[in-house]
Amino acid sequence: MDKAGKLAIRAVEVTLFGSALILVVVGSLTGDSFYLRLATEALIFGGLALSVDLLLGIVGLLSLGQALYFGFGAYLSALILKEVYPSFWLAMCLVGICSAALGYAASFIALRSKGVYFALITFGLAQVVAKGVYNTRALGASDGLIGVPVIKLWTPIGNLDTANPAVLFTVVFLVISCLYYFVKYFLTTPMGSIWQGIRSNEHRLSFIGIESTGPKRFAFVIAAIVAGLSGALYPVLRGFVSPELLYFAVSGNAVITVVLGGVGTLVGALFGSVLLTILKSVIGTITAHHHIVIGLIFVFVVIAAPGGLVGWLRKKLNERLEMNRD
Amino acid sequence: MIEENHHQKILIAEELLKSFGGLKAVEHVSFSIERYGVTSIIGPNGAGKSTFFNLVNGALRVDSGRVVFKDEEITALTPSDRLRRGMARSFQITNLFFDLTVLSNLQLACQFIEDRKRLFQHISNSQRAHARAYELLESFGLQEKRDTLAGELSHGEQRRLEIAVTMASKPDLLLLDEPTQGMSHGDTNDTSELIMSLSKETTVLLIEHDVELVMGLSKHVMVMSQGMKLAEGTPSEIRGNHDVQVAYFGESQ
Repeated sequence: MDKAGKLAIRAVEVTLFGSALILVVVGSLTGDSFYLRLATEALIFGGLALSVDLLLGIVGLLSLGQALYFGFGAYLSALILKEVYPSFWLAMCLVGICSAALGYAASFIALRSKGVYFALITFGLAQVVAKGVYNTRALGASDGLIGVPVIKLWTPIGNLDTANPAVLFTVVFLVISCLYYFVKYFLTTPMGSIWQGIRSNEHRLSFIGIESTGPKRFAFVIAAIVAGLSGALYPVLRGFVSPELLYFAVSGNAVITVVLGGVGTLVGALFGSVLLTILKSVIGTITAHHHIVIGLIFVFVVIAAPGGLVGWLRKKLNERLEMNRD
Repeated sequence: MIEENHHQKILIAEELLKSFGGLKAVEHVSFSIERYGVTSIIGPNGAGKSTFFNLVNGALRVDSGRVVFKDEEITALTPSDRLRRGMARSFQITNLFFDLTVLSNLQLACQFIEDRKRLFQHISNSQRAHARAYELLESFGLQEKRDTLAGELSHGEQRRLEIAVTMASKPDLLLLDEPTQGMSHGDTNDTSELIMSLSKETTVLLIEHDVELVMGLSKHVMVMSQGMKLAEGTPSEIRGNHDVQVAYFGESQ
């Protein structure tokens, strides 16, 4: 990543952090719950988009079924909170471990193929599971699981009440930030270089002594964990989960989010999710056909700024840097 | 007699056979390479040079026959395993990580010399790979292009980076697939000098179109035609070989 790219990413990180801070302060002062809950949801789906960007933007694998891990995390978390023990940390730990296991198992199916076929297999796997859940009475079938209790969150500074939207937003913001820096950390390691090498020219890797299968599987598992943990936050916010979480609309939306934000930038996934959520909410108040408007915006961004919003910012910064040099 | 010479032979290919559908691309070719210097394979288009080359480095699997490298049979090993044993190859069509910088290309190429546990540590902990990458930057004169994307280099620079990436492992046997492909005359001369200097520290197997270049560089040459070995010997023996003249220049000569 060049200087302008790093600057652009830093600028977006600071903007997101600043907005979150303002939202929490203003939100708790005014007793708002609508915008805080909307932003919380944006971050949760941002986490899903982050896992898509890890696969697509870093490793070069287009997953059209990332909702599988997201929905899995959401259902498992709902089950644990409802049936086992209402502990946030217990749910997060178990979802993390089980998502990793699921991702590992699925990787043996998905990574057999490349390119379009990989995309189709990930899509197919998610559809199969979605239909399965939809028809499973024990999981609430088409109704999903409702009545997930509002939980108290244990922390060293005392129990937090997740019914308070400002508290829940802060918790989700911290969890998603951790996931973001967790994924970002790998980019500073040789493993991250290998991932980028796979995206850039997988065939060549084997001739410089690197087998790509292991690193690809590892990325796939990390992406499953990130998607699963993001999903685990969903029932905490909404109090229910439904089979729609596993549907293609969710997977496809995550891909659109990443493209909108800027493929391969990671922060673009979070930024894109926030913007998309705002757009949906604003346009949704004007017209019921907000999908059409969002579709048009998406087409416009892809044509006008193929690097997404972060890519566009990078380009602008680059021009500014060049100008200063001259 | 072969047994006696074994220790000098870095590579022995025995009766290699490879066909694609009905086409026999390489037919029972046996060939061996002695340590150091440049050994070359020449032949008209479609002679099976590249297929033979790919059988040696593992990009293709042999139908039958065996490949022995440094006294170890490697017939079933992957290219990656062969690289770790000291055999590296370059590509005829420049095959780099085009959207990564020159330094990243080299660092990636050097990564395999690091301990696996460093894979998950900050990249600055991979000091051996880092040092080797800088060594290569310098010896291939690419310091000034360090932060340039490989895709934005000139053709000549890309070819140089291609060889630098291949040399990252300090291979005992370096396989070069038409390294001067598409080069200007000046660049071809530079590359020829580069190959000469590389061949002092490592063994080079070269596939080339340019017969004059090969004759000037090589100590030993194999000529292939229609999937078979037509002749082998020193450059002067090859020049005097009647079969080779027929294959290259036609019956009339």
